[in-house]
Amino acid sequence: MSTDAPSLPDPQTLFEEAPCGLVVTKEDGTILRANLTFSHWIGFSQPELCGKRFQELLTMGGRIFHQTHWAPLMQMQGSVAEVKLDLVHRDKRTVTMLLNGVRREHASGSFYELALFGTTDRDKYERELVKARKVAEDLLREKTATETALQNAQDELKSAYEIAQRRASFAEQMVAIVSHDLKNPLTAIKMASDILARGERTAKETRMLGHISQSADRAERMIADLLDFTLAKVGSGIAISPSTVDLHKVVSQSVGELRIAFPKATLLHNAIGAGRAYLDADRVQQIIGNLVANSVAYGDLQQPITITSRQEEYEASVSVHNQGPVIPQSLKAILFEPMTRGTETDSDARSVGLGLFIVREIAKAHEGHVSVDSSTGSGTTFDVHFPAIDADRE
Amino acid sequence: MDLQHRNNVKVMGDGPATLIFSHGFGCDQTMWRYLVDHFTGRFKVVLYDLVGAGQSNLGAYDKTKYDALAGYAQDLGEIIEQFASGPVILVGHSVSAMIGALTDRQVPGRIAAHVMIGPSPCYIDSNDYVGGFKLEDIHSLLDTLDSNYLGWSSTMAPVIMGAPGQPALGEELTNSFCRTEPEIAKQFARVTFMSDNRKDVTGLTTPTLILQSTDDLIAPVVVGEYLHAVLPNSTLCLVANVGHCPHMSAPSACSEAMDSFLSPWVRTHVD
Repeated sequence: MSTDAPSLPDPQTLFEEAPCGLVVTKEDGTILRANLTFSHWIGFSQPELCGKRFQELLTMGGRIFHQTHWAPLMQMQGSVAEVKLDLVHRDKRTVTMLLNGVRREHASGSFYELALFGTTDRDKYERELVKARKVAEDLLREKTATETALQNAQDELKSAYEIAQRRASFAEQMVAIVSHDLKNPLTAIKMASDILARGERTAKETRMLGHISQSADRAERMIADLLDFTLAKVGSGIAISPSTVDLHKVVSQSVGELRIAFPKATLLHNAIGAGRAYLDADRVQQIIGNLVANSVAYGDLQQPITITSRQEEYEASVSVHNQGPVIPQSLKAILFEPMTRGTETDSDARSVGLGLFIVREIAKAHEGHVSVDSSTGSGTTFDVHFPAIDADRE
Repeated sequence: MDLQHRNNVKVMGDGPATLIFSHGFGCDQTMWRYLVDHFTGRFKVVLYDLVGAGQSNLGAYDKTKYDALAGYAQDLGEIIEQFASGPVILVGHSVSAMIGALTDRQVPGRIAAHVMIGPSPCYIDSNDYVGGFKLEDIHSLLDTLDSNYLGWSSTMAPVIMGAPGQPALGEELTNSFCRTEPEIAKQFARVTFMSDNRKDVTGLTTPTLILQSTDDLIAPVVVGEYLHAVLPNSTLCLVANVGHCPHMSAPSACSEAMDSFLSPWVRTHVD
């Protein structure tokens, strides 16, 4: 045996100053002995602790937990381990400890031997973990709820979209049917007035027949506009069927027809560039018709109306210029919206306010755009630009 | 619904009457092990775990159903229906005593008698009623359950250290005793300690034995006396015991008191 080995402290010192709290109780929890370490941690002297019940040192929650959980466990299993308890220090603050306990049978009876470890800092950390878990669970619940709400909203949107689709298609069909059915009586009116005009008529009769014919033409254009409007606004959009055309020729033909329709106006046509473009010829003529009709309605008929067709490297354009009163700024903003009319509409103006809207929609259908410039000196110019898309197709 | 599986029902013993043992908050049917053998010779004995406790089917735990003791009372009624024969005597510890009273109200006449161990119809003090607790005490308990969450959720039950001189419990028992899913334990704690069943017990005429520990934090003597006063056919029996589980820490005192109370239902031997 080595004499160099330091001698261990006596068992009494080892017990009293062990680096953990040591407590011996009766089965009912009455403390028989507690070491100095525990006495220091809990703030009660050793004589004060003896005779007290261990559970009296716990918080109320801890006492209930003791009664419902670890007391029956000690009874049944003879041991508990790693149970966390809040004890109340003499100065009323809470001290968190981890408890291990065994029931030991001695000659003198059964005792509970408890070892306690301070775990205040670790407890803070564990509470943070529990809190973090709770936050995570809350977030998950929130996410699930949000997803459900999103799904519901999407379902609602989908059914709303379907309803809108059905309505649009219904409106489109409705207008198509009505305009088709209106065309027949109008054709009959025009044919009848043409036949009547061929005979000998008095000046008054001829004038009246002219009115009938013009009114029928106007009604026909209004029906066509209405159909386009419906397609653009609630239906599938204005359809175009472009092909490679000579822009100048298309515009020139249109101008020729318009000279007959508006005999009081002077129409000039300027053609710039080669003229080959990929466009819907009928729709381009419709644009020119609408813009010229506007110029006739709002412009100064003493001055010529100039229609320019232009074809450049990257785009084709048509523009209609007239001298006339400046378009007020307030009107400019809504000029291309449906049902917009100039202020000085005379009773004979042709449209229901759809002309410029349709011009814009046709330009859009060609992936082009329309702009307006109006000033006192230079008059009013509507410019419709078509990008030279697929101009070299074919 | 397989009740046997749902409530881990165990049937043993034989006799003209059936004793159904219902455990309290915190434990499971194993807590009856010191008491049961005493009765199996004379009674049919049914043990079970409340849903959420012990080895009950956790899949059957329905947060809405078990948000009130009535949910547990309904289960007990179903267990009586399926497993009991002859007169039924409910032996309920702690909160199960009130579950038994609620079942009695749900199926009047089916239950012949109650043995209530450490019962309390209401834990929280109010006006002139003394239950022994304040609302913040219950919150403190929930907090304690919460702070044991980490330790308890991993192993479900506290680690078992071999205790010298203790016969080792079977693996099955040590792993399940006091095992409760932390979330379920918290809800059950809230449902148990926030319940107020004073109206349900008042005037209940079924013969009742109240086993009251002389020193019980959870159910103080004054609560036992209150129950004795409001239950017209009750017997109050004080058991010298410290703690809330006299059937574990003072089993013979309990079985003695029960024997005399249960004598009307024991088969009389004709020699």
